Amino acid sequence: MYPILLPILFPILAGLCLLVYRKDLERKLLTGITGSCLVITGALVISVLALAKKSLILFYLTETLPIYFQIDEISVIFSVLTVVVFVCAGFFAFAYMKHEQKEKRYYGFYLIAFGVLNGLCFAGNLITFYLFFELLTLSSFPLVLHTGTREAIMAGLKYLFYSLCGAYASLYGIYFLYRHCDTLTFTAGGILQASPASPDGRFLLLVAFLMILGFGVKAGMFPMHAWLPTAHPAAPAPASAALSAVIVKAGVLALIRVIYYIFGADFLRGSWVQTAWLTLALVTVFMGSMLAYREPVLKKRLAYSTVSQLSYILFGLAVMDQDAFMGGLLHVLAHGFIKGTLFLIAGAIIFTTGKTRVDELHGIGKEMPLTMWCYTIVSLGLIGIPPTGGFVSKWYLAIGGLAGDIGIFRYIGPAVLLISALLTAGYLLPLTIRGFFPGADYDYNALQKREPARLMTIPILFMTILSVLIGLFPNIITDYLTKFVSSLL
Amino acid sequence: MDFVCNFPFFSILISLFSGTICSILPEKAAKAVNRIVIAAVGVMSGILLLYLLGTGESFVYWMGHFPAPWGNEIRAGVLEAGMALFFCIIMYLSMAGGAHKLFDEVEESKHNLYYILINLLLSSLLALVYTNDMFTAYVFVEINTISACGLIMIRQVGRTIEAAVRYMIMSLLGSGLFLFGLCIMYDLTGHLLMSNIKESVALLIQNGEYQIPLIVSVTLMCIGLCIKSALFPFHAWLPDAYGYSTVSSAAILSSLVSKGYIFLLIKIIYRVIGFDIFNSTRIIDVLFVFGLMGMIFGSLSAIKENDIRRMIAYSSVAQIGYIYMGFGMGTQAGMVASVFHILSHAATKSLLFIAAIGLTEVSGGSRKFIDLTGAGYRNKWAGVAFTAGSLSMVGVPLFSGFISKLLFAQAAVQVEGKMLATLIVLGISTVLNAIYFMKTVIRIYATTGDTSYPCITFKDMKVHAIVLIFFILLNIILGVNSQPIVNMIEQGLAMFA
Repeated sequence: MYPILLPILFPILAGLCLLVYRKDLERKLLTGITGSCLVITGALVISVLALAKKSLILFYLTETLPIYFQIDEISVIFSVLTVVVFVCAGFFAFAYMKHEQKEKRYYGFYLIAFGVLNGLCFAGNLITFYLFFELLTLSSFPLVLHTGTREAIMAGLKYLFYSLCGAYASLYGIYFLYRHCDTLTFTAGGILQASPASPDGRFLLLVAFLMILGFGVKAGMFPMHAWLPTAHPAAPAPASAALSAVIVKAGVLALIRVIYYIFGADFLRGSWVQTAWLTLALVTVFMGSMLAYREPVLKKRLAYSTVSQLSYILFGLAVMDQDAFMGGLLHVLAHGFIKGTLFLIAGAIIFTTGKTRVDELHGIGKEMPLTMWCYTIVSLGLIGIPPTGGFVSKWYLAIGGLAGDIGIFRYIGPAVLLISALLTAGYLLPLTIRGFFPGADYDYNALQKREPARLMTIPILFMTILSVLIGLFPNIITDYLTKFVSSLL
Repeated sequence: MDFVCNFPFFSILISLFSGTICSILPEKAAKAVNRIVIAAVGVMSGILLLYLLGTGESFVYWMGHFPAPWGNEIRAGVLEAGMALFFCIIMYLSMAGGAHKLFDEVEESKHNLYYILINLLLSSLLALVYTNDMFTAYVFVEINTISACGLIMIRQVGRTIEAAVRYMIMSLLGSGLFLFGLCIMYDLTGHLLMSNIKESVALLIQNGEYQIPLIVSVTLMCIGLCIKSALFPFHAWLPDAYGYSTVSSAAILSSLVSKGYIFLLIKIIYRVIGFDIFNSTRIIDVLFVFGLMGMIFGSLSAIKENDIRRMIAYSSVAQIGYIYMGFGMGTQAGMVASVFHILSHAATKSLLFIAAIGLTEVSGGSRKFIDLTGAGYRNKWAGVAFTAGSLSMVGVPLFSGFISKLLFAQAAVQVEGKMLATLIVLGISTVLNAIYFMKTVIRIYATTGDTSYPCITFKDMKVHAIVLIFFILLNIILGVNSQPIVNMIEQGLAMFA
């Protein structure tokens, strides 16, 4: 009937059933059900991407606003990322959540968020997108406040408040756009007719900036980034992985859709909006890295790192150049896999040792060698050392930045990226160094092997391998995207 | 004239007389009569609506076949019939949803009285909706006030008597001002029938005569109705009146009674003064500003509130502000948005009141937030319904609240001078809404609740749960299928002219 709806509705319904079902399930049964739901959803997404019809009008909300789905290359990139991270983090959670209460609730909302994200990837117009964007906030914030401590609840509320404010700022943009466009359907190259110099155009530039700020909240862009370092550490580790790898990418997806599919890159190129956006993105890149560098708590450090890395992507989008755009998309994948892995590793460390601060983790590499090897490999990837995924994406970003028609930013941009890469090394590698080389005063007699359960190591290993594969064979992705990117810009 | 055209008259008459009958019937029979009357009026309004959509034009009905200056006139168009139908649906659901609480809240000897008051209220609402005569409108405004007062006071707790007295004073002040305005209008034009007044007013404006008395008259009528429908600075009576009365009363008062007055105001704007003349006065700017202030201050008071019923009541102040803001824009689109918001707010607010009672029931009857912790688990249906209502209030797509906001914003971007103010306040108010409704939702789903309270399952509250499901459906229908309804509103407003 409507195959495109299956990967959206199936996990949402499954999650609702889990939430509504009154009795507590036995743990084995619960994880079994959730696991199979995750795998089935993954299979559904892949088969829909491969086989199904690419668009569907579900019904009309008002005369000119349909709930509309369509699948294009962007959807493919983001859905693949979603599926991989959600399935991996889901299986990781089966081991990790043993010591948490109310597992059923967690899995319920986790499945719902999965379905909503699929809907977000497939959304074909701005209203449908906004619908799923709101639902994503509402379904993911129970994950943040899952532990129910005061700190977690406050973090959850902060997340909710920032996200809603951002979403409403964007909603305004939609109101104004609705007045100037016949349709809000995503169309490559944009749908705006007005020229930026006309009075309407000048106003629309303001609207574009408002929407960049609004959707930028979700992507942790300065000045509305503060929710991110609070919410990520408060959530259970697998939820942080999903948040950091995928859910914040919803903001990136939103900006791609709004800027490249509604306004059109030509409308904004060379305007003050582009300058402001570039500035904000670069400020965020630098500031995120600095804050991460100074942060002693591991999960918080990773969260700041997410702030910084996401703005790499935003920089790539803001340059409005083919190479930079390609770099941004590659970094979506690379950062998704890498940061997902890093948060899972942080979770594994907390689960086995109970330690959260970086300076407590002397000799961790001796205790959990496999995990820490994975940590080292993905860290190198995030810094951007070949042959890992981060190298390729940053290469494209830098090339695009240098070639782009962005004035002084042509020099500032790549320089900031480079400095931030050094800082990335500065905040990620100490754990490796102290982990593997604990120093002379380390008591080797007390050493015990504490490699976590297989349910934890396999997802970590899998995502690590993926992040390296992207770096080794980037051509598969770039070949797939080249034609499409040139149609956008 | 078709037989259907008698239906407005029948509706008013049936509900008026069934009130009298209820007083001598046994309690059970009175309850049955009350329900049947509401349902029957609803069915009649539905048929009338279909008939009017078919013919495409409104009709005037002479009571007793006397022509205008001697007889009384009723007028029905699409909007009137639709509103009557909607009022009946909400009233029926609210009565059914609060029925099981009636025994706790009201002495058994007064149950008959309760049904009488409800029937009276229905008849006065219908009369306000259908009448074509200003004085009849005034009479039924008073009947409405008296029955609403009774509905507040019938639950005999100290606080409700105070609330009722307060409501009475404010309401009478409102109707007094309305009467003043009406007197001046009668003086100026010599007519009481809406269509006749409109002609005379147009003539007066054209000749430039009596401008100031005319404006004074219109202002007095507006303020009177604003007080009665609790627009921002006149809202002090509202939280107690809605917060402490029986649950059905609260739902009916907030979703219907205040809306009846607002609907009368719409009629006055279109049918008595004329839309364009009204918009050329400064009154709409005042309404606009008060509406905006209501949206913010209502929400701020709701955030501070520590009692779930009073919080929902304060939220009504904010929502009424939305409606008046729509009037204040002075455009057709703003008016359509306001009328849609009347429907959307009525559907949502009664849902919230009925769901809240389900939550307080499983929290030892307490309405404080601290006791409501975890109530969503103890009464699942009420929890889900409250969440749905909150989402609609916050304006999540697929619920009715989103469409209202969309319509308001669309209307706002067409009005140059008021666009920015509207959108900013709309944004602030939405975020404030989100704060207090989401706070409540989190509270009722927190896991640290007192486990000593009983749980309620579907079996214990069949009627209540079914009512809640209907309310949620109503919200979703308004949210998903809004275009036909908006078309109907536009058609109805066009018939007013």
